[in-house]
Amino acid sequence: MMGPITQRRKGRLAQKLQLHNGIWGNRRKTAAVLGAVCFLVLAAVALAGWAWREEAAAVDFSRKNLAPCLRYPFGTDWMGRDMFVRTMTGLSLSIRLGALTAGISAVIALTLGLASAALGKWADGVIGFVIDMVLGIPHILLLVLVSCAAGKGFRGVLLGISLTHWTSLARLLRAEALQVKESQYVKIARRLGKGPWYVAKEHLAPHLLPQLAVGLVLLFPHAILHEASITFLGFGLPPEQPAIGVILSESMKYLAMGRWWLALFPGLLLVLIVLLFYAAGNGLSSLVDPGQAHE
Amino acid sequence: MSRKENRLPIRKQTAWISARGWKGAALTATAALLLSGCGQSAGAGAGTGPEAGQTGASETWETKDAASGASRQDVIVVMGPTSEPEAGFDPAYGWGAGEHVHEPLIQSTLTVTTPELTIDYDLATDMNVSEDGLTWTVDIRNDVKFTDGEPLTAADVAFTYNTLRDTSSVNDFTMLEEAEAVDEDTVVFHMERPYGIWPYTMAAAGIIPEHAYGPDYGSNPIGSGRYMLKQWDRGQQVILEANPDYYGEAPKMKQVTILFMEEDAAFAAVLSGQADLAYTAAAYSDQEIGGYHLLACRTVDNRGFNLPAVPAQAGAVPVGNDVTADLSLRRAINLAIDREGMIDHVLNGYGSPAYSVCDGMPWYNEEAQVGYDPAKAVQLLEEAGWMPGADGIREKDGLRASFHLMYPAGDSVRQALAAETANQLREIGIEAVIEGVGWDTAYDRAQSEPLMWGWGAHTPMELYNIYHTAPGSGLAGYSPYANPAVDAYMDQALAESDLEASYELWKLAQWDGETGVTQDGDIPWIWLVNIDHLYWSRDGLAVAEQKIHPHGHGWSIVNNVDQWSWE
Repeated sequence: MMGPITQRRKGRLAQKLQLHNGIWGNRRKTAAVLGAVCFLVLAAVALAGWAWREEAAAVDFSRKNLAPCLRYPFGTDWMGRDMFVRTMTGLSLSIRLGALTAGISAVIALTLGLASAALGKWADGVIGFVIDMVLGIPHILLLVLVSCAAGKGFRGVLLGISLTHWTSLARLLRAEALQVKESQYVKIARRLGKGPWYVAKEHLAPHLLPQLAVGLVLLFPHAILHEASITFLGFGLPPEQPAIGVILSESMKYLAMGRWWLALFPGLLLVLIVLLFYAAGNGLSSLVDPGQAHE
Repeated sequence: MSRKENRLPIRKQTAWISARGWKGAALTATAALLLSGCGQSAGAGAGTGPEAGQTGASETWETKDAASGASRQDVIVVMGPTSEPEAGFDPAYGWGAGEHVHEPLIQSTLTVTTPELTIDYDLATDMNVSEDGLTWTVDIRNDVKFTDGEPLTAADVAFTYNTLRDTSSVNDFTMLEEAEAVDEDTVVFHMERPYGIWPYTMAAAGIIPEHAYGPDYGSNPIGSGRYMLKQWDRGQQVILEANPDYYGEAPKMKQVTILFMEEDAAFAAVLSGQADLAYTAAAYSDQEIGGYHLLACRTVDNRGFNLPAVPAQAGAVPVGNDVTADLSLRRAINLAIDREGMIDHVLNGYGSPAYSVCDGMPWYNEEAQVGYDPAKAVQLLEEAGWMPGADGIREKDGLRASFHLMYPAGDSVRQALAAETANQLREIGIEAVIEGVGWDTAYDRAQSEPLMWGWGAHTPMELYNIYHTAPGSGLAGYSPYANPAVDAYMDQALAESDLEASYELWKLAQWDGETGVTQDGDIPWIWLVNIDHLYWSRDGLAVAEQKIHPHGHGWSIVNNVDQWSWE
């Protein structure tokens, strides 16, 4: 008698589970889908902006100061540049610059994190000191300094952001690496005569990859915002570049004249892009972070 | 004047966040928040409103205004932040002279420039120059007192000029050997070399008192001019008060307040009725503000770009450019510029075409004028062998007709002019790639690449600075160019003791019928437009007639503020 009921119960449970899994999956799957969508949108923006780079620089005084309309959804500015195209190109530039700087920062962080663990106490002390020192300087200041010293422009911004944003991730990776270094199998490997670089490469690095990946993605929005702010302040990209910082700082002048569209849409899209990166980063984090595996 | 009146005449700024302003204010705040990135603040940049830190303010001027406009004898003028003299009101550190020539107001000068930009006298009563041009003798008035009561004598004049010669880094006084006071009211200038336009230098050099001159003179200036410095709050405002003992006609405006604000803040100050006259830019000219009208002043504040006129040479600083060294190409560029179109597009109609660095001055040669003729430009290019390449850009012997056109980053008008120039040159198959640069690198790079410059001064010396070869290099200083005939005319002009006659020589330097720096000559610089200086002026304020303004959208407007009045 018990059988059919149990069967039914099991069926219902399975149905529920299936429903749950089928549409939304578990949280990890949701995160994966969301992350993938974010990634696709970002890639699309990056590509579209790159393809439009010629139009974004085109100046046409016969269509200057137009409010948003069907043909120019974001309006045009005082030089008759199409703000929609300019915004997309600006975001594309931001994303590409973000990818480069986040990549360089991550490489620096990984190298220092591994070196810290692999090269022993003395190296760890030095690296810890360097990390603390760079963290101790207000990084917008350091960013301005490096960018100016490197001659501003694309190279200045690239160097500036890359050289100031590796610290937090380096600290995280260092801690992780030191922890793994104390585990049994690493100790055994050392006893078996494997050198520090072999251990770092074969045992430590694979363990750091999930943190690295998440850290890398979360560095993106940071880098993008800093690219915009340093350019906004006049220490970054030159004014003929369609960059978000340039667009926003130019728009300031025209707000008092009621040309709200010059700042509103580019500003909103910048926020949107940053949010997409956070979403993608969080998605990735729930996928690869062992601490969240049970969810 | 009560103590209250001394204070800053700005109300707490609430009107700014009204009407169409609210969107702007909200967005400014949002953007500022957004851009601060990682929690550590991105700092300044967004908060350019005039309200910052100015809370305790007087409303005196307003009550006066409301009571009766006609009774007012004061005026509030807004200038850009760069107009504030960094080193104060000391002629030895650029006050009145330097790049942006204007009358020093606080000090008297020996001469003044007339509305036609010829020379008249202020302190001087008579002036003679020796045959060889090496000795200038100037008689001065003997009834002039400094505002501390001491008389102004020839000794003060001599002291001023010797001080300027020794300390001035802003003005060029290298031609002066020694100024000497021969008696109470006669001063003699011994020159190193003939310098026929010395009276124009005199018009910008304010006379300082020998007995009251010291390191803090800049912030406590004593002069004999129309106004006295009453108060100076650095970064905010300057208040000038009429000199009650002025030897000339008594100033009608008894108090002049100068506020220093960014363009958008100046606009906001006008919107809320806090200024009587405020500078503005063409971008704002289509706005309507109740109670104000737009005042456009003619200028010789020109914009143009250099075309390095010699082939590229390697060196620590690259000099010359193979593309712009081609004479036909330079002439074609000058013909292909639609100046009227540029004025309509970029300046909203507020400007005049520029054909030289000195349009409208007594030394301007009208032969410089040239019509817009793209067909002839193309013909010139084809005759010289510049043929269209695959992408429409012309080529000659494998050399692309392409160059970088730099503009100072942050100057939106020059950026727009550069972009419009690029658009117009593309029509005839020449590519100009625009690039924003800082002044730290611009001067050096202009030796090999075109740069969008701004010039225009009340002295023919500007022609000399741009076109005359510099000692040593054998090329002109700002952009490589050399023509011995042009040099010779300018040398003669400086040696000429009669000013009227020297104007003719300056004209010959521009075009003598065979050679020069104009269209049919070497055309090493392309002049585009003279930018009108625009101001929002309160209805009822009668601004006295202006001389053609020189480069610099600042103190020139108040050159004759003593003659302004309220109707």
